[in-house]
Amino acid sequence: MKNRVDPDLHRDFSKFGNIDVSTCMNCGNCTATCSLADETASFPRRDIHYLQVGLRDKLLQSADPWLCYYCGDCSESCPRDANPGEIMMAARRYLTSQYDWTGLAKRMYVSKAWEIGAIAFVGLIVAALFYFLHGPMVTGHVELNTFAPVEWVEFGDLIMAAILSVFLLSNAYRMLRFIMSGEQGLRLPISLYIKELPTIVTHFATQRRWRQCSADHSHWLRHFLLVSGYVTMLTLILVFLRWFQTDIVHPIWHPTRLLGYYATGVLLYATVAMMISRIKKSGEIHKFTEPSDWGFLILLFLTSLTGIAVHLFRIADWPLLTYYTYVIHLVIAVPMLIVEVPFGKWAHLLYRPLAVYLTNVKEKAKALPVKEEVKVAITA
Amino acid sequence: MTDRKIGVYICHCGGNISDYVDVKQIRDAVSRDDGVVIARTTMFACSDAAQEEMIDDIKTHQLDGLVVASCSPKLHLFTFRAVAERAGLNPYQYVQVNLREQDSWVHQHNIPEATQKGIRLVRAGLAKCVLSEPLSTMRIKTIPKVLIIGAGVAGLRAAASLADMGFAVYLIERSSKAGGMVAQWGKLFPHDRDGRALVADLHNEIKRRENITLFTSAELVEKSGSVGDFSIKIRVKEQEEISLNVGSIIVATGFDPYNPEPGEFGYGLEGVITLPQFKELLDESEGLLSYNGRRVRNITYIYCVGSRQEQTAERPNPNKYCSRYCCNAAVHSAICADALDAEVNQYHLYRDMRTYGKNELMYERAGRQGSVFVQYDESDPPLVEKTGDKLRVRVKDRLIGGEEIEIVPDLVVLVTGMVPRENQKLIDVLKLPVGRDGFFNEIHPKLRPVETVIDGVFIAGTSQGPKTLAESVASAMAAVAKSAALLMKGYVDLEPLIARVDQQRCIWCDACTDACPYGAIEKVSFEGKEIAGVIPSLCKGGGACVPVCPENALDVEGYTDKQITAMIDSMAGEVV
Ligand SMILES: Cc1cc2nc3c(=O)[nH]c(=O)nc-3n(C[C@H](O)[C@H](O)[C@H](O)COP(=O)(O)OP(=O)(O)OC[C@H]3O[C@@H](n4cnc5c(N)ncnc54)[C@H](O)[C@@H]3O)c2cc1C
Ligand code: SF4
Ligand code: SF4
Ligand code: SF4
Repeated sequence: MKNRVDPDLHRDFSKFGNIDVSTCMNCGNCTATCSLADETASFPRRDIHYLQVGLRDKLLQSADPWLCYYCGDCSESCPRDANPGEIMMAARRYLTSQYDWTGLAKRMYVSKAWEIGAIAFVGLIVAALFYFLHGPMVTGHVELNTFAPVEWVEFGDLIMAAILSVFLLSNAYRMLRFIMSGEQGLRLPISLYIKELPTIVTHFATQRRWRQCSADHSHWLRHFLLVSGYVTMLTLILVFLRWFQTDIVHPIWHPTRLLGYYATGVLLYATVAMMISRIKKSGEIHKFTEPSDWGFLILLFLTSLTGIAVHLFRIADWPLLTYYTYVIHLVIAVPMLIVEVPFGKWAHLLYRPLAVYLTNVKEKAKALPVKEEVKVAITA
Repeated sequence: MTDRKIGVYICHCGGNISDYVDVKQIRDAVSRDDGVVIARTTMFACSDAAQEEMIDDIKTHQLDGLVVASCSPKLHLFTFRAVAERAGLNPYQYVQVNLREQDSWVHQHNIPEATQKGIRLVRAGLAKCVLSEPLSTMRIKTIPKVLIIGAGVAGLRAAASLADMGFAVYLIERSSKAGGMVAQWGKLFPHDRDGRALVADLHNEIKRRENITLFTSAELVEKSGSVGDFSIKIRVKEQEEISLNVGSIIVATGFDPYNPEPGEFGYGLEGVITLPQFKELLDESEGLLSYNGRRVRNITYIYCVGSRQEQTAERPNPNKYCSRYCCNAAVHSAICADALDAEVNQYHLYRDMRTYGKNELMYERAGRQGSVFVQYDESDPPLVEKTGDKLRVRVKDRLIGGEEIEIVPDLVVLVTGMVPRENQKLIDVLKLPVGRDGFFNEIHPKLRPVETVIDGVFIAGTSQGPKTLAESVASAMAAVAKSAALLMKGYVDLEPLIARVDQQRCIWCDACTDACPYGAIEKVSFEGKEIAGVIPSLCKGGGACVPVCPENALDVEGYTDKQITAMIDSMAGEVV
């Protein structure tokens, strides 16, 4: 493995955040403070050094940025105000752009115009589809399933899920290749990959690792609620749409209604709380906000808000308002999912658990007994 | 039996001595000894009252010898010599016994034994005193002129300062121009001043002073005489010889930049240059930095080239020292390169960053400007190779656990250190002491940093060891102060504690000439035969000649064989 230095790396990298890696003097205070770093994953100093020196390959092989949850302890302890926590955040952006083979992620991160443009483009397609394909607009009372038949929407959902998965999974596969390429000579049996699979599920659902961070768990809790709302909503839409998008108003105790309220409730709460924190710049984690951070929150907030509006208008039986809001709702939600999940900040929902998983696989592989013939070769 | 009349004073040192040594017992023991007229204890021998008492005793009892048993002679030898002198006693008939450092302080656990030892020590002092002879110093009139060798920054600064103090200065420079190393360079650390301008300013200062004579293309060819009054001969422009007299000599002959071996860190490959060459490149560049017509975007510096070397089979005489200036100069060069082209990428492969003192600010600045610092281990130095037309540097980066990284630079700058300048002729003429590192040797690096063992010959600037400009100037000023202190008075008194030749015994076998490191022995004739003669102004009384003489014809005044033998005998005798 040749660690060829790329002297332009730090210049490239500086486009991914308002940081300057040359401020760091490699004292290592940050790594000493970080409650998540250990011998196997010694960050953030090491990754900052990769960036300073220009070791692009080493950075691509590193899962470290995904193992950091941005508690900001390191930034607080840094004697040079190098903001190591934010450097790790920028490293996640940078890595997202490198995993993505289409190049779109990079464009979106370095240019606001591209991010807005991509979202607007997909949004316009959705709007156009409605414009040309919508069903009759019954005005006497709300008939959403006539305006947008649920089978059609379901079909659209599946197409969207397919597009999203293709991009996200192919990018995730590239991530896997990068991270595992750093381990030449290590025996990595498939059985180990399979045995460790549950790690992905647990970490996806609980972000358990985050709880090892320093004392305050409020950020974790807020994020956990957000994930639960997000997953609930996604399940309702992708799997139970027939029960969710109905023209009859279910009784209040009906599971789809209860779950829907829970999901929108926590989504609204979490996104609003997070936006307020960002505006107030409360705590290290919110000191820096990039356009990509806003995009993510605003879209989720607006999706939840318009979703709730559709629901209320339907109960109030205001047909036109319901139909229009419904279109707006999808014009926001679809690009959010297609653009932000595989190419934007949201990709972390897969990259993070994957990073924990791959790190575990590697560590377990290192602990495996050395094969007999290898041992023989070594002693000979 | 002796007819000497000696006074002995045993000091308590306020308890420092008397707490562990029974001073009264010592006094009682020696008071009955041969030659002792008075024996007293005293609380503080160095106090005014005690000194007066001694003077009084010497005068009333017509004493002809004085022994004070107190502290180390390093502390009070001159105090009590002065007491003797004030009382009309020859100061060389005073003997100091060190009861404190050599007895009470080191034997605090055993008072009776320490007291016994004290008695023996005092008796040895007495034995020496009994055999002491009156001696007198030799006074030499000094010549208020100074020879400065080497017109680098150190030499030039020294010349200007001495001239201002009223001394005539002869400044000789081997090359055709004054200024030394810095005369070739532009911006220098830490103040960004231009080297050429700095030297030009100094040169003007020299020209303005009438009592400075600058000889260029000149060298020293002969020296005789001694401190305060040297006769020298200089040769100018390979022909004319000029004889001069000076009171002191300052050697400021500077250093040479280390010249790497072919192949050392790729030296010899196109694009691998030394720091002095890089400085020239920076100075010549207008606009973007380019080398051999190609723009330079990536520079890799390799530090400690030619310095801090380890001894190996291939390198039996390594330069073990740190060259001090080079970390600073390399980091400063990086700042200059950045000023020419902010896009240039700079990698510093260093061992330890020694931008000490305020120079730390330069290190800070270079880092902030994007210079990357990669530490390597001396046991695993960087490798420089060329494949195709590309240079490749491989180095194990200690900050990522020693993993190897590869840099592809346009230019590799070897941060070369300082080496002693070849100057054998001068060393022979002046008999200059050379240290293990090849630079001229001072007496003590901290306490006497510009003096040499040759009285009246001082060393300044980088001839003594690696230094930055400011340090070179500081050491030049120290040499100026030492020279001036020597010459201001108008005379020097030379210690009479030097070798003497028994003219009857000496057969001029010449063994002593080789033994003397100061060249203080010469051939003289005595009653028709050739014998050795001691040049008083050169002899330091070291005594190296004494044991080599097969005829026992040599002795050192104040430490004669007889005295030493008597001291040993009395120390070994019974304590009663
Ligand atoms: C690449 C490089 C960059 C540097 N940059 C800086 C910097 O930026 N800032 C800084 O503070 N320092 C710098 N230094 C250090 C600086 O050059 C020295 O501290 C300074 O030159 C020492 O002055 P000097 O008078 O002792 O010696 P020199 O400059 O070497 O002068 C000695 C003089 O003595 C003459 N001489 C030698 N032998 C004889 C003889 N036998 N008879 C008569 N004359 C003789 C020589 O010809 C010479 O003119 C740098 C050094 C190097 C190598
Ligand atoms: S980021 Fe700060 S704390 Fe961490 S190594 Fe750099 S200077 Fe030290
Ligand atoms: S932000 Fe927290 S988790 Fe991330 S590197 Fe810094 S201390 Fe560790
Ligand atoms: S000053 Fe720096 S480069 Fe020069 S020898 Fe010392 S440590 Fe090495």
